Amino acid sequence: MSFETALRLTEVMMALCFLQQSAEHLAGYRDERRLFALRGLLCLPLLAGVATGWALAGLTVVALCALHRFQGPYNGGSDRMSLLILCCLDLAHLGAGTALAETALAYLAVQLTLSYVVSGQVKLANPDWRRGRALVEVFRFSAYPVSESLRGWAGRPRLLFAMSWGVMLFEVGFPLSLLHPVALAIGLALAASFHLANACLFGLNRFFWIWLAAWPALFWFQARLFG
Amino acid sequence: MLHVLGLLAPALMPSWRFFREVAPSPRIEYALVSGPAEMPARWTEARPRPARLRPLAMLGRLFWNPGWNETLFLVSCAERMAERPTAHSTEEIRKRLARGLAEGEGVTEGLLRFRLVFVEHRGGRLRRHVIHVSGPLPLEPRPLDPRPFAPRPRR
Repeated sequence: MSFETALRLTEVMMALCFLQQSAEHLAGYRDERRLFALRGLLCLPLLAGVATGWALAGLTVVALCALHRFQGPYNGGSDRMSLLILCCLDLAHLGAGTALAETALAYLAVQLTLSYVVSGQVKLANPDWRRGRALVEVFRFSAYPVSESLRGWAGRPRLLFAMSWGVMLFEVGFPLSLLHPVALAIGLALAASFHLANACLFGLNRFFWIWLAAWPALFWFQARLFG
Repeated sequence: MLHVLGLLAPALMPSWRFFREVAPSPRIEYALVSGPAEMPARWTEARPRPARLRPLAMLGRLFWNPGWNETLFLVSCAERMAERPTAHSTEEIRKRLARGLAEGEGVTEGLLRFRLVFVEHRGGRLRRHVIHVSGPLPLEPRPLDPRPFAPRPRR
């Protein structure tokens, strides 16, 4: 994938994610509605490919206002990934035609890879995760399962042991997928299943979409390194 | 501005340590009170999750999930308050509880208290620890307490 295609795809996918997130806030409070309506409007030129640099700058200002409004991210990791993508796109536009642009997109690809590796590494270091107990506890009492019936999964330790190891091996092994385009396609298919499961079981829908929005950077990065 | 940039920094250099450990998990409970001095005997869990959710509903939430995302924000507020109670987190919880009461039960006037209960699994059973009980808070809308963000007075 060329740099220009990856950049444009990331812009479009991020704008679609922001529209989805913003729509969810339009049912909220007046100050939230104003902020996120503005955010939604700023996504339109980005989608159309018109004045994208200005649209990105505007979205960055809105993102900082939202950070102030909620005194941090509204939705934890997914908001952090949203900000990371946004800032990398800002830098890529500011440094258009220079090495800075490629560096910004490469940084996004590296951070996306690290999001899996570091997460897998810290789980592997925890004996509760290695024994499958951590996931049992997640289902037993954490705030994430979307229904009471899902709490019943805590009574299926063998299944959760297998799921724990599946997640950890996928996460720490993810960098290997950068070695070949086919491996990357397989790695990202696994990643999509992982995010889909998180979205369905734990209601983390924003993670699903925003992580997908960073994928074009990874396709470009893989081709740049090993193409 | 420096404060906001401080909030931005973890997004630019993220730690990505998702689910490193399963920490005690917060629940928000509330009670309506008849006067400022009343300490309620019974508390109601805020935003209880549904008993069941069909697979189609789960998939639908991929596209539209504002209620659950707001619930996760309230979990963040509760976790922030466990570290350091602030007027901002208190107000975010209050106004969302108040809206829930107005929309669900038609209650729009009076006072409420909320408490934060952290649940953990220890010694083979679930244990609950109350770590914060709010003062009496009005259900009616009120502006955010500006104190945490107010500029320092000029000398």
